Amino acid sequence: AQPGYSQPASPGYAQQGYSQPGYSQPGYTQPPPAYGQSPMQQMTNQFGNMNVAAAPPMAARTVSLMGVPPFIADLHAPQPPIHLPPHASITDSPYANADSSYMCSTINAVPSSEALLKKSRLPLSLVLAPYRRVQDGDDEVPVVTDSVISRCRRCRTYINPFVTFVEGGQRWKCNMCFLLNDVPAAFEFDSQTQQPADKWKRAELNYSCVEFVAPTEYMIRPPQAPAYVFVIDVSYSAVQSGMLATAARTILDSLDRIPDDEKRTKIAFITVDSSLHFYNLNANLTEPQMLVMSDPDDIFLPQPSDLLVGLSESKAVISALLEKLPEMFKDTLVVTNALGSALQAAHKLVSPNGGKIVCLQSTLPTVGTGALKPREDVKLLGTAKETVLLNAASPFYKSFAVDCSRSQVACDMLIFGGQYSDVATLSCLPHYTGGQTYFYPGFNASRSEDALKFAHEFSELLAERIGLEAVIRIRSSRGLRMSAFHGNFFIRSTDLLALPNVPRDQSYCVEVSIEDDIKTSTVCFQTALLHTTCFGERRIRVVTLCLPVTSNMSELYSSVNQQAVAAYLANKGVERALSSKLDDARDAIVNKLIDMMGVYKTHVLGSGQGATPQLTAPDNMKMLPALAFALIKHDALRQTSQIPTDLRSNAMNLLRTMPIQLLLPYIYPNFYSLHNMPPNAGEMSENGVVFPPTMNLTAEKLEAHGCYLLETGQNIYLFVGRGVVPQLCVDLFDTKSYEGLRAGKITLPSLETSLNRKVNLLIAKIREMRRGNYYPQLYLIKEDGDPALRMWFMSHLLEDRTDNVMSYQQFLQHVKDKVNYKPNK
Amino acid sequence: MNFDEIEEQDGIRFSWNAWPSSRIEATKAVVPIACLYTPLKEREDFVETPIWYEPVTCKAPCRAVLNPYCQIDFRSKVWVCPFCLQRNPFPHHYKDLSNTNLPAELLPKYTTIEYNLNRVAQVPPIFFFVVDTCLEQEDLDALKSTIIASLSLLPPYAWVGLITFGTMTQVHELGFASCPKSFVFRGTKEFTGKQIQDMLGLSGGTVRPGLPHGAPGKTPAMTAPANRFFVPIKDCEFVLTSILENLQKDPWPVTLNKRPERCTGVALSVAIGLLEASFPNTGARVMLFSGGPATEGPGMVVSTELREPIRSHNEIEKETARHYKRAVKFYESLSKRATANGHTIDIFAGCLDQIGLLEMKSMVNTTGGFMILSDSFNAAIFKQSFHHLFQKDSQGHLQMGFNATLDVQTSRELKVSGLIGHATSGNKKSTYVGETEIGIGNTSSWKICSITPKTTHGIYFEVVNQPNAQFQPGSRGLIQFSTHYQHSSGQFRLRVTTIARNFAEGQSPETANSFDQETAAVLMSRIAVFKGEIDDGPDVLRWLDRMLIRLCQRFADYRKDDPHSFRLSENLSIYPQFMFHLRRSQFLQVFNNSPDETAFYRHALNRENVDNSLIMIQPTLTSYGFDIPPQPVLLDSVSIKPDCILLLDTFFHLLIFHGETIAQWRLAGYQDQEGYENFKQLLEAPILDAQDLLIDRFPVPRYIVCDQGGSQARFLLSKLNPSTTHKSNTPYGTPQGTAIFTEDVSLQQFMEHLKKLAVSGAS
Ligand SMILES: [Zn+2]
Ligand SMILES: [Zn+2]
Repeated sequence: AQPGYSQPASPGYAQQGYSQPGYSQPGYTQPPPAYGQSPMQQMTNQFGNMNVAAAPPMAARTVSLMGVPPFIADLHAPQPPIHLPPHASITDSPYANADSSYMCSTINAVPSSEALLKKSRLPLSLVLAPYRRVQDGDDEVPVVTDSVISRCRRCRTYINPFVTFVEGGQRWKCNMCFLLNDVPAAFEFDSQTQQPADKWKRAELNYSCVEFVAPTEYMIRPPQAPAYVFVIDVSYSAVQSGMLATAARTILDSLDRIPDDEKRTKIAFITVDSSLHFYNLNANLTEPQMLVMSDPDDIFLPQPSDLLVGLSESKAVISALLEKLPEMFKDTLVVTNALGSALQAAHKLVSPNGGKIVCLQSTLPTVGTGALKPREDVKLLGTAKETVLLNAASPFYKSFAVDCSRSQVACDMLIFGGQYSDVATLSCLPHYTGGQTYFYPGFNASRSEDALKFAHEFSELLAERIGLEAVIRIRSSRGLRMSAFHGNFFIRSTDLLALPNVPRDQSYCVEVSIEDDIKTSTVCFQTALLHTTCFGERRIRVVTLCLPVTSNMSELYSSVNQQAVAAYLANKGVERALSSKLDDARDAIVNKLIDMMGVYKTHVLGSGQGATPQLTAPDNMKMLPALAFALIKHDALRQTSQIPTDLRSNAMNLLRTMPIQLLLPYIYPNFYSLHNMPPNAGEMSENGVVFPPTMNLTAEKLEAHGCYLLETGQNIYLFVGRGVVPQLCVDLFDTKSYEGLRAGKITLPSLETSLNRKVNLLIAKIREMRRGNYYPQLYLIKEDGDPALRMWFMSHLLEDRTDNVMSYQQFLQHVKDKVNYKPNK
Repeated sequence: MNFDEIEEQDGIRFSWNAWPSSRIEATKAVVPIACLYTPLKEREDFVETPIWYEPVTCKAPCRAVLNPYCQIDFRSKVWVCPFCLQRNPFPHHYKDLSNTNLPAELLPKYTTIEYNLNRVAQVPPIFFFVVDTCLEQEDLDALKSTIIASLSLLPPYAWVGLITFGTMTQVHELGFASCPKSFVFRGTKEFTGKQIQDMLGLSGGTVRPGLPHGAPGKTPAMTAPANRFFVPIKDCEFVLTSILENLQKDPWPVTLNKRPERCTGVALSVAIGLLEASFPNTGARVMLFSGGPATEGPGMVVSTELREPIRSHNEIEKETARHYKRAVKFYESLSKRATANGHTIDIFAGCLDQIGLLEMKSMVNTTGGFMILSDSFNAAIFKQSFHHLFQKDSQGHLQMGFNATLDVQTSRELKVSGLIGHATSGNKKSTYVGETEIGIGNTSSWKICSITPKTTHGIYFEVVNQPNAQFQPGSRGLIQFSTHYQHSSGQFRLRVTTIARNFAEGQSPETANSFDQETAAVLMSRIAVFKGEIDDGPDVLRWLDRMLIRLCQRFADYRKDDPHSFRLSENLSIYPQFMFHLRRSQFLQVFNNSPDETAFYRHALNRENVDNSLIMIQPTLTSYGFDIPPQPVLLDSVSIKPDCILLLDTFFHLLIFHGETIAQWRLAGYQDQEGYENFKQLLEAPILDAQDLLIDRFPVPRYIVCDQGGSQARFLLSKLNPSTTHKSNTPYGTPQGTAIFTEDVSLQQFMEHLKKLAVSGAS
């Protein structure tokens, strides 16, 4: 019994003349908690979806940008609601339309023609995270278990809340192509219970996000068992940095977290230095048997079985191996690594089944297939040639990834860089296989902070209840077409995204083009994710988004979702940086902003061309200039010769895979003052932990006696001014004075002081409040400490002018000038 | 002259014990001057009173070792070398030398002497097990337990290594403490020594050093990277035992109509490559246990397709055996590398069919390795023979020496022609090398990678004196054999045998009287087999016949063209019979045996002494009857009697054959009834005798008990002289014994023929 089923149908259907036995009063006065939404989002969405009382869309308030700091308080505010006409959904369920965390559009209205879209200069894109994790407080996605899957015969759309029933409920009309389709008999009569069925309670008619248990027609083979092949670097640096020991310990500790509901999960280990080492993990053995293959140019499997074994059957011998691994290689002097060959071997091992290759890489692969060279050249950083370094050095990794994709194998890369690791090349593997990349620069497990972060993230990765052997297809109403895709997958045929694994919290961005004028009042997008769950069921997760159509420029502008636009700009920026150069990427972002501001000025405000003293934006877009500005100052795209290529590549990977919830702080960090927090900050309240007010990202906020927290979701920085009172040092750090503080990665002690307790609570909350496996690292920054660290921290204070990059106000001036003098076509 | 006593003292028997004094006379004697020499023949006195000093040698280049045949000048403390006639002063510590105070090496009983040299091997003997896993489970289990049991028989300081192979080859790193670890090599690929070293991490500095393994003494070899693979048995017995116990059948699937993929060639090349890189010129044996033919990669003998049968003698002869030549070439190249480094290769076959022993034989034969052929590793033949290898001497040392060289030195009348036996040429083209080449010639030194107290070599000489050289009555020729080897204790030793024989003048009967027909027969057998390896079978038989006829012409008593006058003296009388049986033996009649069996039989012949070799050539037959003591009887069908039990010993088989009546009684169970104790004893007598024979026999022979008329009886019948065949018209009326269905000529017919040809003077 899904919670959703008890939800009475909305009144909408009654007006369409259907009668409904046992129907009671509409119950939205007591709505069940919406799934997957924070209370605040829930409210917003309900307003958005509440078609009954939907007010006609109004033009947004216009906001002047010049001379005022970015409106950071509103950065996380609700995005413009989706104004659907009354009864757009068949059940008028409050959950009929997509929650933005699953799928959202850059504009919450769709232009009625291509011309309008062009003229608006707005990007029309979808940002999706269809498999996003369901956390505490979120509701599960309703599951249709009776294998009755009704789809449009022509366009294969899944039945959804936005279809209409005709011919007395005998047929349903497709909301994408308008074909009439038979309503399955099972909607009216349950053959299992021999009872009449209530189709109005069917989840697929009430929920925009729903999951079908797929019948066998959706399988070309029995659902794949989860399979994990660990490819672990055991070369000198992997051992010396403590990566091997930490990895082995983490896997050991996480064995019971790896999804294995059906006791079908398979596991294998390949360790690699200049040679490949396989492990016979036959359940009858008391200890593993190590099989070494020393010729990385000739890859074969040393035995036909017992290398990829049942996790639960062989748990004892797997544990024995993990206990021994660090010891086995402790004296190694091997500095070379044959990753490519190991990957080929792992692929041979797992490809008949499909699964996941988890790569833990500490050394640049130097021998065998796919060997790489330390190609980073600091002279190229900050120049047009930097792009070369940001692209793959060897075609092997992409072509191998494509092979993997074909055999339902995903690769996750965990890269530990002591020196240059060529993240750009190695991350091709996750990029094309639906995997994930994690980067641990300068990893040293003897620093407990490093070990903890890696162990936490790795353990979460292992525990992640991923989807397997998946494909995503996005359908839309007539006239619309998916024209470009961004994210980690391989595009099989023109619009089918192949994902051997679907990580929980990866985001995909899809550009939409308009091919024909749209005559309808609404349009729909439907994302279907066909996958195998890690407990062995073939399922289709369907997310349907319905948007109003408009021919009104003003309405378009007031419907812009600036967060989604930022995600779009991030993806386009990365794409441009890799295909052209970083300069072009930044220009593209700025020009897009200028275009939008210009159109807004001329076509929405009607102020015509020519100089105006102000630069204005609609209320819902007032943070967009700041977000665009943050992007061009981001590690991924900033004009500088100071960012090592690996860091840059990693930042790019994050920009193009992070869901909006993670992306926003990553682009635009949260900045708090700790030494003068309001009394309730850092305390629990009804709504959870209370944060201090966020501050604008400028050094003006820093006072010499202050203590500040800045977080990006990836890292947390505690900045301490040099004039800080000793008592604060005692209370917060258990250190007598500022002089005693040691900058760098730290673990905040747990003290009995109010300040320490509060800050620890804030940090803990930051670490757990977002979806994803990331565990932000905590750094202590001293105002006059290590200059590099300090510079790094200051680089996040992006509203200020830094080096050769303008300040936010200068940027606005620049945008305004362009808007004023650059004629719009 | 007592051949046995000489053999007892010097481990040597000569074909002739008085030598023709000129090249021409020697040629006329037909059978060359040659000996069967067992260099390490056991001498209890060497164990009881070992000699712990270095030998005194003649000046360079002679270097002959001081021996009882040297002339001594006690006053001036000088000795005269009988080989080069140089005078040598005795070293200072011989100053008390006198007629009555002689060092051992000058005493007559020390014509053979063994010096314990002042040198100890740096590396103990290495035993490298190379184990086939493409076996039936039962066979594999038997093999595993046999090897495990053998570990306790090895000296605890010996080093062991392990390779297992099937579809692939795995080298086990026994020095790895954390878990069983092995290096895997593809079974289809040919690896160079360099590649093998690289892949095992033996070549660069990029590999972690070997784990400290408490090896006694810090020598460079102890910390070599290869110590990861070779570990003293005392340190790894547990690990090795557990690896062996956990050893599984080759896991790769084999479809119904296929043979398993077995990469014997790669396994051996990896074993040899590993040893060659790590322990050159060190006592080491690669012990191959193989349960079938190599079916992939280099050295493959037959394909995996079962419809393709393994090659036969016929195909080899017609050169239609597809893989034969390539395989032989491959294994010969491995043999060369092994011998170059002093490493030995043993082959233990446990297979009803063939494993390609013929192709692989060079590895065993050139290195002095062991060869055991059994139907299965579960068979007693294998288990007992294998354990037999590890028999120890009275001091508890393994009876095997390593890395030996045998040097021969002759007095000037003689030169050495070659050696036939398990050795390889030392390529020493000294002045002692003759023009004639017999066996492994063109050298006066041979390398013997592994040698046991039983290893017997045939060594052939020629007389180089020209007939016009003046003959000095009483002159004698000398030969000195020096065998330098690593004893299994690690001690380097030098065994020196010096022999002297008189030269006989011209046509004097002294030569004929000194003929040792048994030794001569075995020496000629070795030549025949050596020729048989190269030449066609019929050619060899013709050569043997020609030699026999010429020998008879030279030494028999007869009147020209009168066969009835033909008489042979006693010391020549049974020589023709040996030749008759040799002609019929499995050594020359290969078509009754598989190519592997032929290789095995020939291998055995080339390592045994005179007595054992004769049994192989002409099996012994003993008859047991009521009221008469057991007695040897003719190897002839007439010896089969209903009321007798026969015990046949072919060296390879021990067969007890119950005559018809005995068989019936036994079946009726009389032996268990009271009053028939004598019958019971009669039944037991051959069994007890057979057990006696088994004790010292290596490999353990196949033991067969059969009844007259039973199917197993064919083993006996095939060995008997067919004096009464189904075709024979016996002049004595009803045939005695049992008629043998054969087309072979009988010994009688053979002798008739011989007499006729010998007296005809046509040659
Ligand atoms: Zn349709
Ligand atoms: Zn001399």
